[in-house]
Amino acid sequence: MKEQVARPFWAEIARCCDLWPVLPSSMRFGRRYLSAWTLSLSVLALTAPIQAQVYEGRQLVAASLVADTNAIVPGKAFTAGLLLRMVPGWHTYWKFSGDAGIPIELKWQLPPGWKTGELKWPVPMKFNDPGDIQTYGYRDEVLLMQEITPPPSVKDSKVKLSAEANWLVCEKICVPGSASLNLELPSSTSSVPANAQLFARFQRSLPQSWPGADTATLHWTRADKDLRLTITSASLAKHPFADFYPLPPTGVVVGHPKLESRSGNETTFGIPLESAPQNQLSMQGLVVFGQRPDGDDRIAWQLPEAVAAASSNTNLAPERGLFTFLLFGFIGGLILNLMPCVLPVISLKIFGFIQHAGQDRHKILRSGLAFTAGIFAWFIGLALLLIVLKNAGHQITWAFQFTNPYFVLFMSVVVLIFALNLFGVFEISLPQNATRGLLGITASEGDAGSFFQGVFATILATPCTAPYLGTALGFAFSQSALIILSMFVAIAAGMSAPYLLLCVQPAWMRFLPKPGPWMEHIKQFMGFLLLATLLFLLYVLGAQRGLEAVTWTGCFLLVVSIVCWMQGAFITPSASTKARIVTVVLMSILSLASAWYFIGDKFRSSKTAVGGLSLEGDWQAFTPERLQAELAQSHNVFVDFTAAWCITCKFNEASVLETAVVREAFQRHGVVKLRADWTNGDPVITKLLQQFGRPGVPLYVLYRGKAEEPVVFPELLTKSIILDKLETISRSVASQ
Amino acid sequence: MKTKSILAILTSLVATAVFAADSPPVGSAAPDFSATDSKGKTHSLSQYKGKYVVLEWFNPECPFVKKHYGSSNMQKLQQEYTSKGIVWLSVDSSAPGTEGNLTPDQAEKITGEWKAKPTALLLDQDGKVGQAYGAKNTPHMVVINPEGKIVYEGAIDSKATPNPGDIPSSTNYVKVALDESLAGKPVSTAQTKPYGCSVKYKK
Repeated sequence: MKEQVARPFWAEIARCCDLWPVLPSSMRFGRRYLSAWTLSLSVLALTAPIQAQVYEGRQLVAASLVADTNAIVPGKAFTAGLLLRMVPGWHTYWKFSGDAGIPIELKWQLPPGWKTGELKWPVPMKFNDPGDIQTYGYRDEVLLMQEITPPPSVKDSKVKLSAEANWLVCEKICVPGSASLNLELPSSTSSVPANAQLFARFQRSLPQSWPGADTATLHWTRADKDLRLTITSASLAKHPFADFYPLPPTGVVVGHPKLESRSGNETTFGIPLESAPQNQLSMQGLVVFGQRPDGDDRIAWQLPEAVAAASSNTNLAPERGLFTFLLFGFIGGLILNLMPCVLPVISLKIFGFIQHAGQDRHKILRSGLAFTAGIFAWFIGLALLLIVLKNAGHQITWAFQFTNPYFVLFMSVVVLIFALNLFGVFEISLPQNATRGLLGITASEGDAGSFFQGVFATILATPCTAPYLGTALGFAFSQSALIILSMFVAIAAGMSAPYLLLCVQPAWMRFLPKPGPWMEHIKQFMGFLLLATLLFLLYVLGAQRGLEAVTWTGCFLLVVSIVCWMQGAFITPSASTKARIVTVVLMSILSLASAWYFIGDKFRSSKTAVGGLSLEGDWQAFTPERLQAELAQSHNVFVDFTAAWCITCKFNEASVLETAVVREAFQRHGVVKLRADWTNGDPVITKLLQQFGRPGVPLYVLYRGKAEEPVVFPELLTKSIILDKLETISRSVASQ
Repeated sequence: MKTKSILAILTSLVATAVFAADSPPVGSAAPDFSATDSKGKTHSLSQYKGKYVVLEWFNPECPFVKKHYGSSNMQKLQQEYTSKGIVWLSVDSSAPGTEGNLTPDQAEKITGEWKAKPTALLLDQDGKVGQAYGAKNTPHMVVINPEGKIVYEGAIDSKATPNPGDIPSSTNYVKVALDESLAGKPVSTAQTKPYGCSVKYKK
């Protein structure tokens, strides 16, 4: 057995940088031959020379390379590792070292054509030092393992594998160490295992992959500067010791994770973030549990890959200041006025302004302000509701109401009635009538009337705002209460800006056209916009409940139309009381009977559509099993999380995913395309969305085999984002 | 076609809003302290109000501290910024009997031998200053602005190794923070994970 000498790391630094005068003499490392202690250890390695780190005459660490095979068989993967043995009391560091220390580093220098897998780190110990200093590392002995695959043909009869290793070893003081290590193995056509006990022991100390959903589920929330991880698992709950060892990404400074609560099967960890981007909604790490914090029986689960990926969209997302964010909220609110379902209400209000242009300015101002207050009240109310729900720990999503077909049905009815009103089928302006009825207000120009017109305009905007604002609000949801509120106020301010301007500067009203019969035409035209909105709602219903449900909804809507017509035709000021009563009775009977028959019976019995969105082209339906199966065959898989009511999704599909160039690129790179349809709020998909830290669709994820972390794309796709990413994955495959 | 472009604008607005995120400011008020230096003089943070103050956690035995003193990197920084009127306080929080604990004489000696140029080397044996700032590493760096707010805290530079050879190719966060502050600009990297030895607090 060849003896090697320790390479004096400090001496080398000192030489290159003239450090000698600074170093105390005790730090000088002499060339020392192996001590008896190291010799006794070296028996274990096959042909691996051991290097010793000596400090003040004491050997602190013995380092060597070891393999789990006695020979290299061309093309056959084996496991090699860096074995560090520390003198008692001293420790080296895990890949996340904690508050102090530096992780062990291992860099292989392999001949061309040799491939290495991921470096595998055993579950570390947590050390507590005075001054609330927590570090993660290894005492006594550690083996970092890595799979190595030789090329299909190896010419030499002996192969020398080299690696550079660096570490920091600490007790009360810290001393850096480094070594250039070699491992020489014969190449052969067959091999037998070597160092079997050692490798088996450290294999057992590796973290396990995340167990299935039947054993454990996890849920992340972020409240201001803290991440909270809740794990529901009976196996975890029955162990007295549980801890979370974080693996923060670069740029994130993490505090000390704490076990916050344990009740029933739920275990909750709090992970304070000292510095992290706002969209840091989860973190990779280990859940460690056992009988005792330092017991040999400890088990560690590595968090599933998908969770870690939630933060990787940071790479693709530009960061912006709060002001920019609010400005976009404002502009977004302004644009809401042009939405087909909002425009009709808004135009009625503008017509109100036009008609009263000649009247008392104060009256106009008050009515305008009341209208604006209505808009603000709705948005602020919504914001407060969301904040309350969020603080109560609910995971609610804004566009989620669209996964409920009855909500869509209700909106269809409201939109139709309003359209009929604009067509002149029945004359009384619905909003004012409704609010008057609500409050018993007789004055047609009451401030409360204007207020509720504002509220009504915003409620009516829901079919347009939900898909449109859903993603934006989803983002705001991860923020502090103040930001959520600011965001909503910005949207409300944007939406009401035109009226506020007109009220405050009534002089500008002269820029508005004079009242006239054209207003009637505009009103009727607005009715058609509402019908277009209705078509969209029916399409959503169709995707949710199928053709039959849409047909029955159509029948119900027809009866609703007839009822509206009866109201317009027979309940006139000149009609006799008797005629009115008969009409109202008939209207009630028709409404109730059709609601009972078409909705309560026929609509309700329509089945939830399976695969509501038709799968065009080469898209295939997503299931978790399907994804696993494709990944097991090392296919790259692109998953499109979408829903029929999601306008952003539709836009991305039309402008990017379904274009010839992107379709062709997917095909060329052999990417399997799966579509996850969330139209009905499928709970399996909801869970997956939450794992990615998303409150809803759209979500685009590219899985690259089992080993790599999936790539998360931004909500708004562009062709170049997809094409670039596909290029990079094919390059990284080619270079392996 | 036109509808599509409108839709494109709308969607991009939403998307931009979704990805808008603000970086959290360090920004809190720096805790006041009072400590004795190697010459027996007392220094408090409040006496330096109106000036930029740099705190540097120091332990002459720590290889990461030696990395920056052995290469003269730290001395150059101290020289450059104290000459610009900035107060530079090195703080040794090692408790008696632990690595790096210094008597005033030893502290004077090492300052002279190493040609260190801080405004003062504070001997914080009871760890009060260190604990107030949550300093866990040597070196751990804090930059405080004239209003007494923390504008930077964390590592001295971007390469967490004990190797002085890495200094030329690394970004010195303290230098960047001071230069940006002196130029009236906000600090671009306000917080990083410090690296080094643990501070040797008393048990």
